[in-house]
Amino acid sequence: MDIDDILREVDPTFHAIPQEKRDLQDLTRAWVAERCAPELLQWPANDLFERVNENIKRQIEKVEEMTGDMDPKTNFVLIVLQTELERFKYLVRSYLRARIAKIDCHTLHYLSTDDLRSRLSEMELAYATRHQALLHNHYLSSFLSSFPPALQNLNDTAGNVTMIDAPDLDSAVFVRLLRDTAVEARDVDVDSSTGGQENAIYILRWSDAKPLVDAGSAELV
Amino acid sequence: MALPLPPGLTHAEVAFLAEMEMVTIVPRQRLESMDLLSGQTPPLRPPHRAQLPLWLALLLKKQRRANIVPPPWLHPASLSEIIHRETKENPQTFSPPPPPPAHANPHDPGHARRLADADTILSPPFQPSCTASAPAGYLPYHWLEVAEALLAHAGDDMAAPAGEVRSLLRDLVEVRAAKMRSSTSVLGGAENGLMELTGVGAIELAESRAFVLGVVDGVRKIGAGAEAARREDEEQGGGIHDDDGSDDDMGI
Repeated sequence: MDIDDILREVDPTFHAIPQEKRDLQDLTRAWVAERCAPELLQWPANDLFERVNENIKRQIEKVEEMTGDMDPKTNFVLIVLQTELERFKYLVRSYLRARIAKIDCHTLHYLSTDDLRSRLSEMELAYATRHQALLHNHYLSSFLSSFPPALQNLNDTAGNVTMIDAPDLDSAVFVRLLRDTAVEARDVDVDSSTGGQENAIYILRWSDAKPLVDAGSAELV
Repeated sequence: MALPLPPGLTHAEVAFLAEMEMVTIVPRQRLESMDLLSGQTPPLRPPHRAQLPLWLALLLKKQRRANIVPPPWLHPASLSEIIHRETKENPQTFSPPPPPPAHANPHDPGHARRLADADTILSPPFQPSCTASAPAGYLPYHWLEVAEALLAHAGDDMAAPAGEVRSLLRDLVEVRAAKMRSSTSVLGGAENGLMELTGVGAIELAESRAFVLGVVDGVRKIGAGAEAARREDEEQGGGIHDDDGSDDDMGI
C-alpha cells in the first residue's frame, strides 16, 4: 500500500468501485436478468465473460499450486479460495445454462433475424446453427422427405401464421429501478406513466421494462 | 445441459445471492489479506472490525475465527419499530427499503453524494445494507435470508436472546405475507395499470412470483381482445392530430 492508496481511502469524494467488484455485480445482474426475463438477452459487451473466465482459470492454477504445501495456515486460505471459486463457477454455469435453455426452446426464432442473432455469443451461434441443422436433417430423413415439397419447410410463414415459435414478450416481470426515472406501463384498460423513484419495485410487462433495463435504469429481480 | 428451471429465481438461488451480502465481523485471529476473485479481503487484525461477504463470515464463525456483528435492523427494538410501522402506520404497503448509501461531499456541504460510479450502480446484495453501519429501522432486500442465516449459525452473537429475535421475525413474516396476499386482490384492477411492490424482500418475491405473475399474465390474456380494440380506437383518434400515431400507444 503506498501513499496514494492511503490518500484515496480518506478522500470521501473518491468512490471508484474496484474492477473485481464491478465484474461480480455485472455478472450477478446478468444472471438474475437471464433467469427472470422471458426472452434471451444481449450477450454482455465489454468482455465481461472473457475477463471472468480468465480470472477463474488463474485462480484454479493458484489453488493447484497451493495444494502442494501442507502448511495448516495456508490450508484454511485454500478452503476459502476454493469455496469462492465454486461460487463463481456456479454463477457462470447457471448463466450459460439458462441461455442454452432459451436457445433450445426457440432456436429458429433467434436465428431468424440479424438483430436477434447478434444477441448470441459466437459459441452460442455455432451451437444453435449446428443443433438446428442436425434436427432438420433428422426430421428430413425420418418423415419430412415423404411430405410434398411445399410442406417440407419448418419456417413457413404463409397465411399470416408463422411456424416459428417466439417467446411471449408481454409476460410480466418484476423490476427494481436503479435511478429515478419515468415508468410507462401498458395495461388492459388504461396506459399509465409515473415518475418512478429509485429502489421502487414494479410489476411490468417485459416489453415495457426492456427499454429501462437496456438503458441501465432498472434491473430485473 | 440446459437449465430445467422455470423463469424466476428459486429459493435456493435467492439464498445463494443473500450469501453475498456484506456483514461486519470482529476477528478473533489474525489472518492475512486473501486474493479472492471478487477482490482482496481486508487483513484481519483483532479486535478491528472488518467487512466480509456473509458466506466467508459464516465460514470464519464456524471455525471460531471470528464473531459476527448483527446489523442494527436486526435489533429487537428496530424490529418492533418496523412491525409497528407495518401494522399501524402503513397497513397497506411494505415498509420502505433502506436509503441508498451516501457520503458527505466536502466540496458541496449539505448535499450527500451517492456511493456509486457513473456507469455501475450497486444494488443488493452488494449494497452495504447488512453491515454494522447500516441504518436501523429499514429492512434490506435480503432481510429474511440474512436474519435466518445469522440466527442459525451465529445465534450467540445476537444483541438479544435468539428466541426473542426469532419470534419478532415470525411476526414480521406473517404481517408481510398477509400484505402480499391482499396485494393480489388489486392485481387485476389497479387503477393506473401499474403495480408497485416497493420494499418487498427477495424471498417474499420468490415465494409468490409464480402466483402473482400468473394472475397478471392471465388477466392480460383475457383482456387481450379488448385491449387491442382500445388501442386501435386511440390510434384512429390520435391520428387526426398526429401522423405518427404509433407513439401514442405508450400513453404519454
